[in-house]
Amino acid sequence: MIGVVRRAARGIREHLYLFFVATGVVAAALVLLGTFALVVVNLQGLVAGWQQDVHVSAYFQPSLGVEDWAEAKSAIAGRVEVDAVSLVSPEEAAAWMTERMPEVSEVVGELGPSALPASLEITLRAEHRGAEAVDAFAESLSASGRFAEVDYGREWVGRAGSFLELLGMLGVALGVIIAVAALFLVGNTINLVVLARRDELEILRLVGATDGYILGPFVVEGVAQGLLGALAALGCLQAVHRGLLVQLDDILPLAFGAESLHFLPAGLVLALGLGGVLIGALPAWVAGRRFLARLP
Amino acid sequence: MIPIGPVIRLYHIVKSYGDRDALRDVSVTVDKGEMVYITGPSGAGKSTLLKLLYGAELPSSGKMLIGGVDVSKLDRHSLPTLRRNMGVVFQDFKLLPRRTVGQNVAMALEVIGAAEEQVRRRVPAVLNIVGLRGREDDAAGVLSGGEKQRVAIARAIVNDPPILLADEPTGNVDGAMAVEVMEILQAINLRGTTVLVATHDVGLMDRFPYRRLRLVDGKLVAGAAPRARA
Ligand SMILES: Nc1ncnc2c1ncn2[C@@H]1O[C@H](COP(=O)(O)OP(=O)(O)O)[C@@H](O)[C@H]1O
Ligand SMILES: [Mg+2]
Repeated sequence: MIGVVRRAARGIREHLYLFFVATGVVAAALVLLGTFALVVVNLQGLVAGWQQDVHVSAYFQPSLGVEDWAEAKSAIAGRVEVDAVSLVSPEEAAAWMTERMPEVSEVVGELGPSALPASLEITLRAEHRGAEAVDAFAESLSASGRFAEVDYGREWVGRAGSFLELLGMLGVALGVIIAVAALFLVGNTINLVVLARRDELEILRLVGATDGYILGPFVVEGVAQGLLGALAALGCLQAVHRGLLVQLDDILPLAFGAESLHFLPAGLVLALGLGGVLIGALPAWVAGRRFLARLP
Repeated sequence: MIPIGPVIRLYHIVKSYGDRDALRDVSVTVDKGEMVYITGPSGAGKSTLLKLLYGAELPSSGKMLIGGVDVSKLDRHSLPTLRRNMGVVFQDFKLLPRRTVGQNVAMALEVIGAAEEQVRRRVPAVLNIVGLRGREDDAAGVLSGGEKQRVAIARAIVNDPPILLADEPTGNVDGAMAVEVMEILQAINLRGTTVLVATHDVGLMDRFPYRRLRLVDGKLVAGAAPRARA
């Protein structure tokens, strides 16, 4: 074990330039992947914020009266999806309209206080704010026959959801493309390393080294490349993240409705590290084996 | 691995490269402790014969026993075992020029997992045998041809293999140095190692007379069996 690490260290020392080229390729690939992940993570936060604003407005049938409103309100308040319900009477609706839209206040006044329908303003619990959940909930309200109209900004919820889904798929596709490209680039660099060390490998083979003995240091070097590349990439991502925070300090709360940009969560940081190890070690192993197979 | 009596036996060995036969129906016996030349003109099949012996190539047909073990269909996993029982020396030395003499020699011990203490003891000992005492820390790349070949020989014998193969070991070494290399091989043979030397240097063979396996165009034309039995 110690022998493998020592031989790997010697290999790195003897081909330091190629080692850093391979490490740089790993780092570059991870920076690309990490940047994309950062964007997705923050957009997800943003959309989650929008979803918090989702609330359902249900407008009563004009034929219903005050008792019906109260009964409907308490029935709906008892449902598991519901966080809060408030009743908006026609008078309150008129007052709100008059305040918000002075240009229509005259019309509202002429029509009389009960011209606008009474409604329920319903806030859903966080876990029921997804597009489908909201759809189903609104559907059930409509089906009850009490309401003339159920309104919940379906477009927003739906679009935000499918946008996120699209981003996620794009992320996976992009990740695969970048990972494959990185594997090939690292593979090519390692082929150069193998070529530079062909004499050594040939001699090792000649004096009776096993495949494992020859491949071991290659894989260790690959892991080192991956870890070092991942560290460098995380450093870069951190720097970019901080830089953006400083630059966007003023507009962030406005644009995002969130306090700040998030960095990658621990799980993704770990995934980035593992990805680095894979991108570093796998091509090393493959290139080493391929060369060994051709060796006399 | 190595019994008394024949250490190498080839039966009707054929080696073809495409439609070209590098060895044709070669049958040979080499006894334990023998020193033998493999000779013949360029392209006769000398190197090919050695390659079969150290497992770099497999015979197209025929049977090959080394130390009583059939190696005619040797698989990948057995190759290291074969190589650990065999030192090989080439015309072009095959040293790592950027490493020291000591590091080059130590490689053959490290691959068999020798302890550091053993490396420290054995490396100077074999360098002493090849006349390079105290040169451990010299870079291998700056040595003369004769010195390089002696380092290669030291590496080949450092783990005491029963068989030493040398393919034109004096090909890149001139005059007096070639004689020195032959003297070292002779000394190694005298310590009990079976030595096979491929060469077409008639002068050297006359000066160090041993059995000559003579190949012409892939066919063995002389020296198939040890002298006592020939
Ligand atoms: N890898 C190979 N592919 C094709 N032909 C080869 C190969 N190795 C050797 N040969 C042929 O086999 C014959 C014997 O070669 P070799 O054993 O190297 O001869 P020698 O060492 O006696 O000079 C030559 O004709 C050579 O061209
Ligand atoms: Mg030859």
